[in-house]
Amino acid sequence: MAALMLSRVVKSGFEFLQTSFRTTSLAQRCTTGNVEQVRGYYVNWRMLRDVKRRQMAFEYANDRLRMNAIRKNTILPKELQEIADKEIAAFPRDSCPVRIRNRCVMTSRPRGVKRRWRLSRIVFRHLADHNQMSGIQRAMW
Amino acid sequence: MYRRIILLATRNRSGISRIAEHSINITDQQETKRISVSTCPNRQRMLYNKGVCTPNKRPFSTSTAISKENEESSAPKTGVTEAKVKEKEPKKSGKENLLDLLSAMKIDVTTKKKFQALKSQKSKEQPRVHPESMESATSMFQKATTEQQAQKESLSPELVAAASAVASSMPLKKSQTESELLQQLRKHESDTEVHKKGETNNIGNIIADMKVGKHPNARSPNRPANQIRFDDDGRGYTHDRGVVNEFDAVRRRKSLFTGKRLNIFPSTTDTTETEPKEVSVPSLWDIELAGHIAAVIKHLPRNGFEEMIQWTKDGKLWQYPINNEAGLEEESDVPFHEHVFLDSHLEDFPKQGPVRHFMELVINGLSKNPYLTVKQKMEHIEWFREYFQQKEEVLKESEAY
Repeated sequence: MAALMLSRVVKSGFEFLQTSFRTTSLAQRCTTGNVEQVRGYYVNWRMLRDVKRRQMAFEYANDRLRMNAIRKNTILPKELQEIADKEIAAFPRDSCPVRIRNRCVMTSRPRGVKRRWRLSRIVFRHLADHNQMSGIQRAMW
Repeated sequence: MYRRIILLATRNRSGISRIAEHSINITDQQETKRISVSTCPNRQRMLYNKGVCTPNKRPFSTSTAISKENEESSAPKTGVTEAKVKEKEPKKSGKENLLDLLSAMKIDVTTKKKFQALKSQKSKEQPRVHPESMESATSMFQKATTEQQAQKESLSPELVAAASAVASSMPLKKSQTESELLQQLRKHESDTEVHKKGETNNIGNIIADMKVGKHPNARSPNRPANQIRFDDDGRGYTHDRGVVNEFDAVRRRKSLFTGKRLNIFPSTTDTTETEPKEVSVPSLWDIELAGHIAAVIKHLPRNGFEEMIQWTKDGKLWQYPINNEAGLEEESDVPFHEHVFLDSHLEDFPKQGPVRHFMELVINGLSKNPYLTVKQKMEHIEWFREYFQQKEEVLKESEAY
């Protein structure tokens, strides 16, 4: 009983901490069990901004879908559609999914990123040469 | 033909229940499409069949039962119409075929009785191909289970009532259509149950006919257990004996809990559970203490496997074998008609006008969407309701509300 309560409290506590500080959960523990908080960080501020844009796009996704359904319509009256246009423009700018850039996960490189692995070409090549990528082999034909 | 004209002409929305209306709509679509097929001669029929698009794939398949029944009825009919249309030229455009159809309709009215006699004859000759009797792999396994189980599976009374309403609105052979509909519904239910159980019954069905071969205890030694054993070389031990033999008696038990109770430990007394204490919002100190305790208790992963186990428990790693419906276990309990028939949620909207039209399109799209939960669909509709209520004035100015 107490253990359940405890686990729930722990879960909620950690979530609270994480959402407020937007850190990666890299809290490390030494062998004695004392929590040494290593400050987790994204590779650079640009990556952090991209993360914020993704989260915001997720929040506003439904609203945007519905507003666009009203706007891109031949049935509803045009006055209503104009009002909907203005409303969707009033949404925060980071809420639109177009601003998301698929950056490399390791280096935050914005270009040369293969979508399947979310890695830039340089990191991909590095890992593949060191045999860290499952199923990837140097091409030869 | 004559009966089809009646159906097309008298679509009485209010009289029939919603489900019946839907199925009638489906059959009308199917029937109108098939009219174009039946009047053209043989060579053209092939092309028309390919050109006709398949009807919209609804999640419930009762329409197929009805449509197949109608298809068979139209098959003997083509003989009748072809005989009349013999003098027409083979190659025609669609429009000309339609005109032929219209002209042919008049002819058919007089031969209605003849056609019905023909049809009843043909139906007696050929055994009807029921969709249920067509054996597929899954249906064979399910038959093995359903025969064992009780015949009447639990269908909700609403579904049964709806099926009987639909059957009564069909013109011919009401009892048969009703039984076919109910069979389809039951099959659908059993399908979902099998899927829910994760198809654990299938293997049981496969090996149901196999005989269980109880292999005799191969490890029993040739000599009885209480005889002294001699080791041949004087090494002090015999080679054959393994620890296995000593646990033989234990292993012969089929389960853990057979055998006499030893009454060593007292049986658990029922402790009345104290009511959960109401804890107000835990302070940060409590959270920190809880985190500390959890960190002490938790063991660090010793290898990659344990790390992956931990990640799977956290939810960071998918569960293998991949389950497409990983987060959606509760959703499988929701019956299909709540996904598909969303008309009842449209009561707060105006009956006429562009708003209604728009919402009907929305509901049409939502009913075809298999990826959303019912709750999400309801949220969409709620949002639209609120939005249109807010924008009432604008809509009234443009006379749309």
